[in-house]
Amino acid sequence: MKTPPFLLAAALLFWGWQTGFLIEGAIMAVALESSRFIKARWELSDDDFARIWTFCTLLTLAALVFAFANNAGPANFSKLFENPNFTAERVAGNSSALTAIALIRWLPMIFFLFMAAQAFSPREGIPLETISLILWRRRKKARKAGRPLPPSRNVNVSYPYFVTCLFAASGHAAEDNSFFWGLSALLAWALWSQRSRRFGLIVWAAALGLAILSGYFGQRGIGRLARLAEEYNPQWLSRFIGERTDPKESRTEIGHIGRMKLSGKIVIRLEPENGATVPTYLREASYRIYESQVWHAGSSRKDFTGIAETPFDSGKWPLLPNQTNSATVNIACYLNGINQQDRNREGLLPLPLDCGRLENLPAYVLQKNSAGAVLAEGPGLVIFDADYGSGSTMDSPPNTGASFITNEDLAVPEREKPALDEVISGLNVTGKSDEAKLLAVSGFFNRNFKYSLWQDIPRATGTNETALGRFLLHTRSGHCEYFATATVLLLRELHIPARYAVGYAVHEGSGRKYVVRLRDAHAWCLVWNQKAGVWQNFDTTPGSWVAEEGERASPLQFFSDFWSWIQFQFAKFRWGESRVQQYVLWVLVPVLGLLLYLIIFRSNRRRHRRKPGEVLETGNWPGLDSEFYRLEQKLVERGLSRQPGEPLSAWLQRVVDDPDWAGLSEPLQDLLRLHYRYRFDPQGLNRAEREVLRREVATCLANKKR
Amino acid sequence: MNPIWRVVYRFYRVFSGLGHWAQRRFTRAGWMVLASLFVTTIMGLDTENMVAYQGFSLLLVLLLLAFACSRVFRMNFSVVRSLPRFGTAGQPFTYRASVRNLSAKVQSDLMLLEDLADPRPAFPDWLAAQLALEKTVRSLRLSRQQRFNPFKLATLKDALIPPIPPQQEVEVQVEVTPFRRGVLRFKGVTLARADPFGLFRALAGIRAAQTTVVLPRRYPLPPIALPGVMKYQEGGVALASNVGQSEEFVALRDYRRGDPLRHIHWRSWAKTGKPIVKEFEDEFFVRHALVLDTFSDQPYSEAFEEAVSVAASFACTIQTQESLLDLLFVGADAYCFTAGRGLAHADQMLEILASVRVCSEKPFETLENLVLNHAGVVSGCVCVLLAWDEPRRNFVKKLKAVGVPVLVTVVVPAAPAKPFEPGPMRDEPDSFHTLVVGQIEQGLSRL
Repeated sequence: MKTPPFLLAAALLFWGWQTGFLIEGAIMAVALESSRFIKARWELSDDDFARIWTFCTLLTLAALVFAFANNAGPANFSKLFENPNFTAERVAGNSSALTAIALIRWLPMIFFLFMAAQAFSPREGIPLETISLILWRRRKKARKAGRPLPPSRNVNVSYPYFVTCLFAASGHAAEDNSFFWGLSALLAWALWSQRSRRFGLIVWAAALGLAILSGYFGQRGIGRLARLAEEYNPQWLSRFIGERTDPKESRTEIGHIGRMKLSGKIVIRLEPENGATVPTYLREASYRIYESQVWHAGSSRKDFTGIAETPFDSGKWPLLPNQTNSATVNIACYLNGINQQDRNREGLLPLPLDCGRLENLPAYVLQKNSAGAVLAEGPGLVIFDADYGSGSTMDSPPNTGASFITNEDLAVPEREKPALDEVISGLNVTGKSDEAKLLAVSGFFNRNFKYSLWQDIPRATGTNETALGRFLLHTRSGHCEYFATATVLLLRELHIPARYAVGYAVHEGSGRKYVVRLRDAHAWCLVWNQKAGVWQNFDTTPGSWVAEEGERASPLQFFSDFWSWIQFQFAKFRWGESRVQQYVLWVLVPVLGLLLYLIIFRSNRRRHRRKPGEVLETGNWPGLDSEFYRLEQKLVERGLSRQPGEPLSAWLQRVVDDPDWAGLSEPLQDLLRLHYRYRFDPQGLNRAEREVLRREVATCLANKKR
Repeated sequence: MNPIWRVVYRFYRVFSGLGHWAQRRFTRAGWMVLASLFVTTIMGLDTENMVAYQGFSLLLVLLLLAFACSRVFRMNFSVVRSLPRFGTAGQPFTYRASVRNLSAKVQSDLMLLEDLADPRPAFPDWLAAQLALEKTVRSLRLSRQQRFNPFKLATLKDALIPPIPPQQEVEVQVEVTPFRRGVLRFKGVTLARADPFGLFRALAGIRAAQTTVVLPRRYPLPPIALPGVMKYQEGGVALASNVGQSEEFVALRDYRRGDPLRHIHWRSWAKTGKPIVKEFEDEFFVRHALVLDTFSDQPYSEAFEEAVSVAASFACTIQTQESLLDLLFVGADAYCFTAGRGLAHADQMLEILASVRVCSEKPFETLENLVLNHAGVVSGCVCVLLAWDEPRRNFVKKLKAVGVPVLVTVVVPAAPAKPFEPGPMRDEPDSFHTLVVGQIEQGLSRL
């Protein structure tokens, strides 16, 4: 089946319009449809088609790898293998889906060469053996065994290519109904040539109209159903989504039993500049409201404001204007999330608490909220300089949230109050200063608590005791989330504004640099210093936590670090943080060019121009270099031209009637015999005979010159 | 027997039936829409990032409408086929079918589909084929042999029918490609009408049972000097008009009813006044037997099919003036085709060969005894064997021992690692040939 004229061009334009490749689509459409007007054809053999198919297949593989890497496939899958859980599975699945979509969108470009090969070859179709590996092998085996070759079937790939364009055009989110109407129009065009002639035009049009109308309502129904399913349980789904820090809330492991699994994967690399000390904490976000083991951003949830890059495109982003920063640290971190609107990478930047300015940051968009979270949208890996040490923070002062809730930084859940009050009563800090209270709280945790990643199954007490209460009064052992949450709530109960901060602790040096692993993820408390008017870090987690978590490091961490380093280098290459990418691209261009050249203009390829009524050209036919033609030319020059349609033998007979050539009857007949054999005998001439032909013609010509 | 086979057989029947139904119902455009629907079903699951679900909806409605249109097709017609009596496996042939429109309006854009008898085997046959196949499949290895469907007899191309005016008749050509020998049973004829979009066909059929015999594939044979000596044949001159040495006058006798007129001795009639006929000596000629080995544990092997083809090639090629091939030993049966006059036996032999099946219940010795019983009347023997094992070597040895010259061809599925030891044929290496499946023609050309 062959597509009607211009259907492929329309499909390509439609694809270009839908996927944002309009220029590419238009170029390909013009190139394909020009085959209707350009008469030049490439005579491609079966092997040539097979080569082009292989090229397209390799291109598909390359595109697959590129799309996979571009959608964080390697990172997400390595996470899945390191720590297989539902979240990792979902994230990896998401990567696969994005990869598939990207690949589908590129398919018309990838297989364009194959389609063009058919369009510009004199054949109507492409041999099925070039596509089917099984048939190709079967044919090859038959050829090898000397058996008769199985009959070859040609397929016209124009309809499959048309369908591929339509599939590719669907690779975008539903914004309007343009895809549906375009698809309907193109399908109607394609179906027109396939219609049954038994039915009249009206019946056909009515049936098609009915189909399109039903299809339209059907697709709307599907869309609604999908939205309903999405909206039905976002809360349930959110439980499983995203390992990355969410600026809106932080779900703690408080109350969970068993051992927390910790990964030694390196997630951040730091390098202090100009001999500065490295910051101890890198904060990603802080939260204000605690409820059922979950910390919420509260009023900071929706108050993200954009940060302007000043000057534009300079990579400099001021967080706290008009502050003097005393130190600078170079930070490299990954942006692991995907922005749902523009599909860019996004993530929270891990920054020192009093960071005032970011430099050399290749972000597209930067936003901050009143709880000090800085959300960046940009490439998957960002490497930037953070200037810090001014002493001030960008977090909003307590009780000044944009929301109507004004006591967010002092709020304590009612359920937790009994345990907190019991602890406070033992602290004897009533009426003391804030400093004394902080000291007492710190001392309380230092004396009575120990760090543990293990939580036993709680004994049934029959009371309303919460997990945090149990931690404060009975177990007195837990991980950083327990300590941070308990500290924040204790301080609030003592009327000191406090917030819950999450991020990373920096402690592991690596030469002049520092590395931060996933297991260094930490939670601590931010406490409001009334006198200085700033927020300060306040960490009550016993210092042994670093050593304890380090003890559980894998003995093969060296390999894991090496792998992390490779991933880091690859990410640098991928996200343009190294210059290698440019060089590789320049290397790829000539290689691909050479491949294309070999396919199109190989030395034994012949371009064939087809004209109406034209006799086939005789470009590479064997024997065309026969010396006999020189003799023929000579005779023509002597006025003994050959009549059209006159056989050579009859012509030679006429020639020898001429008195000048009378004696050459026999030699000429011998030469003609050799010439015929050289031209038409499948065996051709052997070397000696070829030499005889050459020599005898030369002798004849020499004689006649004299 | 493992009960799982029953389940697998059920699946086989259901899926092959479904495939057959779909093949008849969907047009090429329909297949494309169906495949696209399948792809959009998968792609459409991601409604958030893709709009393929819109395509799914449209394609589904198109197919449903096409399906609904197929429910309303009735047509009154009759068909007469002009089927040939024989076809040959692997050789396409065409026949004419006359379609008469018995309705009152013009019928256009119709296709003619032939209904062949269901080629799917009964459970025991299917099981035997599967078990035999299992023996040849090595685990975790790709089979080198090309799989072929031993049950599919032929394919028929759908034929486009030109518009038929009311009560008129048109002729269409139908092309048949038989895959293997056997009886091709036509059950009926179906006319197909596509829906307005040209995706799905409505069918209307009538019964029209007919059969044609598909003869085994034959290969060209070089001139063969079959071994053998002349022997007295009891059949006498009635056997053949141009075979052997006839016209050897013996005596005169009285005319008996049925004697040919040309044997009347007119001068004696004139002398005696009653019809006298000449009597001739009985015939001496070279008579060959064709022995086809059907003893195999593989019910549908390619080697067996090729062996039948080789036997068929012998049967229809050796009809020279000097010798006669009229005895056929197939499996446990012997056939003799010399009862009537002339040499029509080649057709009959091919018919026998067209329907021969593997014999797995009896041992090879059955054939041995049968042939040896007839050894007295046989001048020479052409043996087409499926193996070269001890029983077969013994058989050939015994034949040679009773003085019957033998030409042995052994058909094997793959070339043996080292050539067969000729055994009793050691003294006549030119009369012992191994033919490998896939290279039979080359092998026969070396005979």
